[in-house]
Amino acid sequence: MIEIDEKKLIRCPVCEAVNIDKGTDSSCRRCGCTIYRHQKFTTQKSWAYLVTAIVAYIPANLYPMLITKQFGSGESSTILGGIVMLWEHGSYPIAMVIFVASIVIPVLKFLILIYLLVSVKYPLGKDKKINKHKMYFLTEAVGPWSMIDVFVVAILAALIHLANIQIIAGTAATAFALSVFFTLLAAHAFDERLIEGRI
Amino acid sequence: MLCNSRNSLILAIIIAMKLENEDALDRYVICRKCHTLHEEIPIRDGTKACCSECGGVLYKYDSRLAEHGLALSVSGLILFILANIFPLVQIEILGHEQFITIPKTILSLFESGFYLVGLICAFLIFVFPLMIFLIYSILFVLLKLKRGEKTIKELLVLLSRILPWSMSDIFFVSILVALVKLIGYAQIHIGVSFWALIGFVVLDLYITKNLHIYEIWMLRKRTFFKERKNDRD
Repeated sequence: MIEIDEKKLIRCPVCEAVNIDKGTDSSCRRCGCTIYRHQKFTTQKSWAYLVTAIVAYIPANLYPMLITKQFGSGESSTILGGIVMLWEHGSYPIAMVIFVASIVIPVLKFLILIYLLVSVKYPLGKDKKINKHKMYFLTEAVGPWSMIDVFVVAILAALIHLANIQIIAGTAATAFALSVFFTLLAAHAFDERLIEGRI
Repeated sequence: MLCNSRNSLILAIIIAMKLENEDALDRYVICRKCHTLHEEIPIRDGTKACCSECGGVLYKYDSRLAEHGLALSVSGLILFILANIFPLVQIEILGHEQFITIPKTILSLFESGFYLVGLICAFLIFVFPLMIFLIYSILFVLLKLKRGEKTIKELLVLLSRILPWSMSDIFFVSILVALVKLIGYAQIHIGVSFWALIGFVVLDLYITKNLHIYEIWMLRKRTFFKERKNDRD
């Protein structure tokens, strides 16, 4: 018989089996995967991905996302510019969708991840009743939706490829795709055990 | 409680516990939303167990999971193939016609020099969805044949690693956004693939949200546990 404290049980991030937390080298008893390998630098990896994502998000907003070439003359628009243009044209729902997907979600994700990473070290908001697990789950769930804008640009660029009118993807597309990619990596690298301050 | 299904069960929370060995931990389940620990109890066929804290679904029980899963994943594969070989949408601007397919969208990114975005998109909307459905099909076939306990384990690990990276649902919403943007500029004709993609996305969502990996692990345990018991007898 082993007697065990409920607090020592953790969930395998890969197969979701309940495991006993054995400290530095826990491997899952069911799937054999290492349960968070980077014990020595607990938050550094997540921070590194997050900073990369934020850095990539700056050119994503400054450079043009879409370049429309019509009869020889080119016209380029950034993410925000595109949203403003859509709003002025009266397509409010689409403007809202793009605004939420490419501005609100990434920024919200940055803020939540920064908050989670900071609150690991400093007891921020410990007295408040915030379920950090739910916050983390939320970032994981909504994160990929910020790819919408990149896909839209890819579709438009492939579709509008005529002699007179052409739509070309801009530099921001690469920067934005990278930014989303690195935020997803940052969220995956975050060790959920840190939320309870077990390490 | 958020989960208002009549069949759902609220599970009690345990505070201190004694275990015989590590495998006895299979009796417990931790909510994937809020990390509350629950004890797993047998539930009726076709019902689900919900978390008492946040109402999220903990697990379901379906006695014919392998059959259902196999049917769904094979139909998903067929729809995926259909969605990739026929044109998605066709547009007409100033007498010019142009159509796209999913592979063409990715290739045109490469052609215009966006190798990185092209590569990311290729994986997110083509490679990963295809891999996921192939893995699901192989898994359920193996479970049905009651063979390959180790292969199933490795496939399940691979599957849970790539599941968060499949974005065909997001791609579908992007198509809608792109089409709405084009209204007024061009005539739009919806292609065969568009309908196939709808079917594929619905199946993809159903499989990834409803047929959770946790249940396949439980099915694997049930299948091979029975097998071993039979061997001993």
